[in-house]
Amino acid sequence: MPGEPKRLEHPKSVYVIGFIFKIITIAVLIGVTYQITFSHHGPGLLIPVQKKIEAQQKSAILEEVKRQEEYEKHRHFHNIVDFPSLPEASRPVCYICHSDYPHSKNKKVRALLNMHTQFFVCETCHIEEIKDTDIVYKWYNPFNENPSGPFFGTSYNQDTGNLAEVEDQFSKIAPYFRFGDNQDLAIKAQDAPLAKDYMNVRDQLTPEQRDNVKKKFHVNIKAKGHECKACHAKKGILEFKKLGFAVNRIVDLEQLNIKGMVTKYEKFYIPKLFSD
Amino acid sequence: METQEVLTKCIRKDVWGLISFSAKTTLFLSVFCLLLFSSISVEAADNENCLMCHKYRQIGRIDEEGKKRSYYVDENIYANTTHRNVPCRDCHTYITKLPHDPITEEVNCANECHIKPPFSKENFSHKKIIEVYNNSVHGIKKEDAPELKSAKPHCKYCHLNPIFTRVQEERIAFDKTLSRCLNCHEQKGVTQAYKHITHRLRHKTSRSPKEIVNLCSKNCHQEVDLMKTLKVSHESLEAVETYSQSVHGKSVALGSQDAADCISCHATNAIHDIYKKDDKKSSVHAENRTETCRQCHTNVGDQFANIDVHSKLDPEKKPVLYYMNTGLTFVFYGSVLGLVGLMLIETVGRRRDGIKWQIRRGTTWRGISKIKTDIKKILNK
Repeated sequence: MPGEPKRLEHPKSVYVIGFIFKIITIAVLIGVTYQITFSHHGPGLLIPVQKKIEAQQKSAILEEVKRQEEYEKHRHFHNIVDFPSLPEASRPVCYICHSDYPHSKNKKVRALLNMHTQFFVCETCHIEEIKDTDIVYKWYNPFNENPSGPFFGTSYNQDTGNLAEVEDQFSKIAPYFRFGDNQDLAIKAQDAPLAKDYMNVRDQLTPEQRDNVKKKFHVNIKAKGHECKACHAKKGILEFKKLGFAVNRIVDLEQLNIKGMVTKYEKFYIPKLFSD
Repeated sequence: METQEVLTKCIRKDVWGLISFSAKTTLFLSVFCLLLFSSISVEAADNENCLMCHKYRQIGRIDEEGKKRSYYVDENIYANTTHRNVPCRDCHTYITKLPHDPITEEVNCANECHIKPPFSKENFSHKKIIEVYNNSVHGIKKEDAPELKSAKPHCKYCHLNPIFTRVQEERIAFDKTLSRCLNCHEQKGVTQAYKHITHRLRHKTSRSPKEIVNLCSKNCHQEVDLMKTLKVSHESLEAVETYSQSVHGKSVALGSQDAADCISCHATNAIHDIYKKDDKKSSVHAENRTETCRQCHTNVGDQFANIDVHSKLDPEKKPVLYYMNTGLTFVFYGSVLGLVGLMLIETVGRRRDGIKWQIRRGTTWRGISKIKTDIKKILNK
């Protein structure tokens, strides 16, 4: 452009070099600022402020829970892999109060009962039957209306003999009420309107009011679940074949694979356990 | 008769697999092959079928003290661990019945297990290393206060069930060396044994320096309040802080795989022999320090070994170091911040002069100074 100083007419390489230097300058500035303020390798001018804010938000309960979880990792010894877990909103409503380990009363079998929560939702075992209404058991996945599997626990890996590893980590067996041709899911997730409303107002309720509301969550729920035999038997409640279980897995589930236990343990009373 | 029935039921699953594998085999041969297969599979160590229940990740409970207890054992991982051939009850000896009673005991790693290592007729045990550990500073002593006893780490605190992994080290020709081993030995055992040995060749441990530092620091040595209750020395109280400020600590924090971590200096290759620095057995005792430094800094002398690695910048104890460091800090921040300050002053000045800030056409500054404009206006008048 005539009349304008020549210094404005730069080649493209100058723009590139200028851009790189700008990025470097910004990066250095950010690094130095962090070094001065929060880094433990510098003067840490804002660390006292940060600690003060953290101290205000400190919860003794939260800290103890985290410490215990960390300790459990060290205590356990066997390598534990982190599995994906459902987001809170998609979890069944029962988990608001009953947690991942809902069984605690029967000391002999509580861990064994909790183990089953990997395969089915609480209602599968604790559903109250409704007169003249059939209950159908199907795989339920909060992210997929028609999960097709393969589902965990339904087949063995032929090479290792271990349970086959699967991609679907969320599907569980759940009950559905059958009304004619329709099948209605018998469980509620935490994003159901009633559950959401309860979560919002539960701190404002008196203990009595809370108990009353909780009863609404327990409609069609019985305190004592099915006995083991109800499923672990031929012609049990769960139709393993229809649910996609492999033939050899069905045999194990129906008869329970207890190789070695009878002879190797000093005391063995699973049979009694079954009749409890 | 009952036992026989149960066993028959148990092997049915494998029978199904074998039928698909070879329809031509007779039932007798199927059962024979099945038993043979069982003896070399993962279930070899699990002859009591503990994994029937424990292979499910939700097996666990909240105990009476409100602690979450998980009894899950991943069968696929377990099959690749060092202990894959050890029957569960060789370690968990207190399990005697089903369902189990609430557990009050811990596993004792000094137990003998029913495994005979190669070239030995005795059952395997970790007794020897546990003796070393018990003599170390971390071993529980009779005279220890109760809080110190409970705070000292047990085997499981530091160790996870180790997994056989192949070391990523170019100087170990895995395939070539292993193929020579296979000239005489069977592949199954020797592959695992080879991995077991080679993954310890590179460093003292197979863990990264960062993992070692985290293991020693987190929930333990960096917890100053806890350390105070255990009445550790003043130097130990600041050990994590001073390490993280040292050249070793900073290198490890930045991802170095070669910089010294805690056990590089504080233990020999036995790893567990950590002693107080005043103890002559300690690798950081004045008499042993030079050798310890020479693990990495070859050819250094005693003078080098006297350099304080856990140096704390205390103006009273180390005034020269403190004031040198403070001076250099001022020089560093003074340079960077001074430069930025000058740029800001220049910017403000130019803006005040009326020059526009534009990022286009190859320059950030355009326009004519306000002063020049004013002079022009006066001249025009």
